[in-house]
Amino acid sequence: MTDTLSTIARLRRDRLRRRGLVLALLAALILAGLAAMLMLGHRLLAPGVVLDALRGAEIPGVSFTLRELRLPRALLAVAAGAAFGLGGIAFQTLLRNPLASPDIIGISAGASAAAVLAIVGLGLGGPVVSVLAVAAGLGVAGLITALSWRDGLCGTRLILVGIGLSALLQSLTAYVLSRAPSWSLQEALRWMSGSLNGAQMGQVAPLALVLALGGGWLIARAADLEALRLGDEAAAGLGLRLGRLRLGVILAAVALVAVATATVGPVAFVAFLSGPIAARLTGRDGSLLLPAACVGAVLVLAADLAGQWLLPARYPVGVVTGVLGAPYLLALIWRDNAKGAGL
Amino acid sequence: MTPPTLSARGLVAGYGAAPVLHGIDLDIAPGKITVIVGANACGKSTLLRALARLLPLRAGRVTFDGTDLHRIAPRRLARRLGFLPQTPIAPEGITVLDLVSRGRHPHQGLFSRWSPADAAAVAHALDVTDTAALAGRDLAALSGGQRQRVWIAMALAQQTEVLLLDEPTTFLDINHQIEVLDLLADLNRRRGTSVVMVLHDLNLAARYADVLVAMRAGRLHDQGPPGAVLSAANIRALFGLDSTILPDPVSGRPMMIPHGRQTGQMGQGLAHG
Repeated sequence: MTDTLSTIARLRRDRLRRRGLVLALLAALILAGLAAMLMLGHRLLAPGVVLDALRGAEIPGVSFTLRELRLPRALLAVAAGAAFGLGGIAFQTLLRNPLASPDIIGISAGASAAAVLAIVGLGLGGPVVSVLAVAAGLGVAGLITALSWRDGLCGTRLILVGIGLSALLQSLTAYVLSRAPSWSLQEALRWMSGSLNGAQMGQVAPLALVLALGGGWLIARAADLEALRLGDEAAAGLGLRLGRLRLGVILAAVALVAVATATVGPVAFVAFLSGPIAARLTGRDGSLLLPAACVGAVLVLAADLAGQWLLPARYPVGVVTGVLGAPYLLALIWRDNAKGAGL
Repeated sequence: MTPPTLSARGLVAGYGAAPVLHGIDLDIAPGKITVIVGANACGKSTLLRALARLLPLRAGRVTFDGTDLHRIAPRRLARRLGFLPQTPIAPEGITVLDLVSRGRHPHQGLFSRWSPADAAAVAHALDVTDTAALAGRDLAALSGGQRQRVWIAMALAQQTEVLLLDEPTTFLDINHQIEVLDLLADLNRRRGTSVVMVLHDLNLAARYADVLVAMRAGRLHDQGPPGAVLSAANIRALFGLDSTILPDPVSGRPMMIPHGRQTGQMGQGLAHG
């Protein structure tokens, strides 16, 4: 008994240490990415100059660029990445399938189509767009649930229906863009693959609010989500209110993904990739919500930096994450197919 | 402390259009081992799920210590009544310690995460199931028998006064079956936990049960001590099978020997050979 107690204490300590180490590493990467976003540009700025300008010093030719262009872009990258990461892992946990990510099953595509209709089609702007995007995301979630329902929730069928619906909604987005009077390549790329170009400070606050509310709620429910991974019956045996929990998780995750999508577009594969990467890093013991949020932020920061400075031409962030995500999607399908798991 | 009572009255429940249970009245004996037996699709597991509040009821009610089961807050109920499904899902990459620790979930609040009481309960569960040495291992790397012991350890860590188990010995070879049943019998004797389980093997059921509950086509056919319930007449009624009942030379409990169509010929073969 005492031996067992000390074994338990040791294993828990090791696990917490690894988790702390991973989170510290991810936090350091986020800080490094933020610093790089602020320093790099047409003019390379020294860290001291960046800090002075952020503190409010008026430096000609620096302050405006930094506060109005580089800072919102950097903050949006972190917030959107975290929102995608959280939304992705929440759906993947709920449906117990890595393919059940909101960017695969059409939630992002629905939010994006609604945003395009509102902005390009109807000339709307501001919070209305976010509200419409969330409504569309919830609509898609409801629709794929209804279409795949047969005596209960079926993960595989839901994913297939979602992939179909996603394709439909993407073509709707393309159609609206092609008919729009003020058609531009920048705009089209944002709504088809996601982009941080044209980021504004006013876009940061709404996303941060959704992140605090939705993300905060999910993280408070992390233990429930972990229990859900044991199957519905075992989870109910542990005292979970399954219906309520599912509804809450779907609402929070859709809000996160839809508002992020309405802000920066459906940045490809970030929701899909963050959870599995976080699982590899932490060793898949304990909740993945926080690690996945950090991985999402790192992915978007790194992809945007790479798209701006590492590649021969300047690519929007979603093109870079798309190039990263597609091989993983193929590998996942390949692996599951080899196991004979179907999906 | 006397163990809580668990009772069903006029229970009607099921999954699709037609109910599986057609009006069950049953009092689970507190502090005893109750084993539910019956043919496939007779409603054994459905009854267990209804007792665990996993099914909405069409009619009737289940009471726990006199209170309607559906009126008790789920988390509070989960501290007193545990349920282990037949095939729980093993999350990818989970370690034994992490899984067994999940049993503490109903005892932990939003802000009171991990306490010495949790550590003690998990340590005890690992010790009595003989899985402490496996604590750091990946669940997927274990044998079927070890994995089942770990699942039971999770249910034990929940420290409930009533424990419901749906076929806890399926997929196990005979030595692991005995091991798991001995473990549950110990738990029942030492802690006074009421154990209710569905078992397929009638002889093991008779050996370990204080009370046998025999079900047939969604109704209660008979219940009582194994000596009374495991009779040739009941086997005939439940399974449509002729049998001979003998005393089990090890436990003294009744033992069922099925006849089958081949029995006579085999006997003749022996006589002529």
